[in-house]
Amino acid sequence: MNAPGLAVITGGAGGIGAEIGRRLARDGYDLLLVDRDERVADVAAGLPNATAAVADLLDADGPAAVRDAVRDHGGVLRALVNNAGITRDARVRDLDDDAFSLVVRVNLVGSMRLTYGLAGDLADGAAVVNMSSRAGLGNFGQANYVAAKAGLVGFTRALALAWAPRVRVNAVAPGLIDTPMTQAMPDRVRRKLVDRIPAGRIGTPADVAEAVAFLASPASDYVTGQLLLCCGGRSIAA
Amino acid sequence: MSGPLVIRQQPTAGDIGAIDGQLTDAFAQMRSAVLDGRPVVVVLEDRDLLGQGHPADAAVATALLGIVRAFALEGARDGWRVNAVARRGEDAPVDDAIGGVLAVPTLSGQLIRLGTEHLGKVVV
Repeated sequence: MNAPGLAVITGGAGGIGAEIGRRLARDGYDLLLVDRDERVADVAAGLPNATAAVADLLDADGPAAVRDAVRDHGGVLRALVNNAGITRDARVRDLDDDAFSLVVRVNLVGSMRLTYGLAGDLADGAAVVNMSSRAGLGNFGQANYVAAKAGLVGFTRALALAWAPRVRVNAVAPGLIDTPMTQAMPDRVRRKLVDRIPAGRIGTPADVAEAVAFLASPASDYVTGQLLLCCGGRSIAA
Repeated sequence: MSGPLVIRQQPTAGDIGAIDGQLTDAFAQMRSAVLDGRPVVVVLEDRDLLGQGHPADAAVATALLGIVRAFALEGARDGWRVNAVARRGEDAPVDDAIGGVLAVPTLSGQLIRLGTEHLGKVVV
């Protein structure tokens, strides 16, 4: 591959974000992990060639703070992974407007703002990878999350066309992944969900990180505007 | 219970700040409608579903379609009827398609695309 440069990963303090960092580090990237959670510094400290930036992408100056950190690094920005996200699950009848709006702003608008904020810093041939979700195809009790993750798919497609051929833009849509959130599910619920996954197991953060690494790398140089479902086949199962 | 709710995707003029408001407003209207037993049809721009317009409009279009699917899934047992119609251009006639969608009582969570622009493309 080309000599990697800098990769920016949002949501870097979380399990999936940290795993993406570990995976991209293996490919030789320098890393800038971004999170509003200050523990992102601890994650960065455990990775080679990694630094951290604490920023809330909903703040007016959030994207600019990340851009400053990129420029402080002085390297070439080769990859942006928009991984930051939250959930506020509730059935439609119980989901209030504020919770709907918050999830849309964090998961969709925040990613869009940062992407545009870094537009001028992305190198020729760089890659943007947006973290969508299989839930974007429809999910129970997550209308807000579904909207945001489905919105990222449209954003991915249109931005891929707008920025081609200089920058590639793709998305990954994880299914059920082994995270603290899914570990907190009752065993009965978790087993029922896993039973519906053709791969026969829950996904791991490493599964997601591999998909991200592929779309960030020159191995996918002819791939842009696409959604890679990383869900063990759940999206095609009954 | 009264007539159907028809929501039309609004252009963002490239303003990312307009996305959240449009989606939240659509969600609130749709929630109110289905809880009142009213069917919902969301009119989308096919160009944006395909990603051929501004990224902000594309995000709105696919997010609205996501809401349609989430509502249809969640309200299946309660008989919620929530669908989408995609047209090519703001002036494209869409009333017949809306009427057709509303005429099928078992239809929910569907996207009806008018025209053929989507053929040969990856569809959402």
